[in-house]
Amino acid sequence: MSSSGAEGYLAEILQVEDKHVIEEFLATRSDEAFCAVFEAACVRVRRYFLLRGLDAATADDMTQNVFVKVYREAGQLREADRFYGWLFAVARNEMISYWRREAVSDKVQLEPLEKSHAANLMTEPEVLPALRIKQLLKALDPPERDLVVLRFVEGLSYEELAVALKLPLGTIKWRIFNARKKLSRIAGPLPAGDARKQINSRKQIN
Amino acid sequence: MKHGISELDWNDYLDRCAPQDVCDRIETHLIGCLQCWEFYERVSSATRDLQDAAEEARARITPEDRHLHRMLSGVFARVRAAEPKGDLHPQVKGRLSRLETVLAPFCGPQAAVCALQAAARNSPAASLDQVTLDNWGPFLERLTAIAAAMCGETFAGLVRESGQY
Repeated sequence: MSSSGAEGYLAEILQVEDKHVIEEFLATRSDEAFCAVFEAACVRVRRYFLLRGLDAATADDMTQNVFVKVYREAGQLREADRFYGWLFAVARNEMISYWRREAVSDKVQLEPLEKSHAANLMTEPEVLPALRIKQLLKALDPPERDLVVLRFVEGLSYEELAVALKLPLGTIKWRIFNARKKLSRIAGPLPAGDARKQINSRKQIN
Repeated sequence: MKHGISELDWNDYLDRCAPQDVCDRIETHLIGCLQCWEFYERVSSATRDLQDAAEEARARITPEDRHLHRMLSGVFARVRAAEPKGDLHPQVKGRLSRLETVLAPFCGPQAAVCALQAAARNSPAASLDQVTLDNWGPFLERLTAIAAAMCGETFAGLVRESGQY
């Protein structure tokens, strides 16, 4: 995973051993290597689905579908560095297909989570609804939610986001910046002098 | 672009990956422009809020090991259920492909396929599409014997080695 632009908060979730596990799987395609990849990546895919509004049972079901595809189709992938971009592209396609299947009216409803799935979120009652990230995501449009979850929660690099969302790098950065601007309207200001301190510390580092 | 700072520059600056000249330009500008300074404070604050919220989500959405184990079993069950009879296991497919690659330069592509088919026919698998991980050993032994007859013991050793992983 490229570390371009990654900050400290991302470093902790970028696990070097992940890459070895993925390389092993791509080279051997063995069941054992697949289990290791599943262990490394399953939580992230499931969390992506949950944060994008799917209930726990659906998230579990779709996570399994995604990994069935990984098991069968990873042969088309050559580089371990592209794995997470590809994985989340598969996950996102799976989610879009699910929403399309679920759409009952003439109008395709691409974001069914707020009302129809709110009750189902109670399957993890003590955690999900109370998460701050859920409140922040409400301020964003669906495509921006994808970007924010994948970038900030799952720690994908911009290059991986471009693979996952099939968008140019510049568009990805522009949308991330727009999401930041939107969120700045609901966030409180920094305590006085905090931003100044950040600049000073950056200058010291440089 | 506002005040000479593009949105991409701002984004890179917030990610701390902007080139030095861009950092210098933005920081010099921030000292003299209250409007941009306030904007930067707001967006910085939002970014930090987002980072904290993301960290909380990573820490708190953590299924138990047995839950993951159940899901993994589910994945394998779906894979097996969807496999049509006679469809080769991906690992077997990979091994056969590797063996074909090893055989072909020595005896030609057609003879390579024939050797694989003959080895399968004379092993418990009975045919190439019935070769599995379980009956792989006898199949490989037959193939090794055929390779020895075709190209000698050294080459047979290479075939045996190539077919083991």
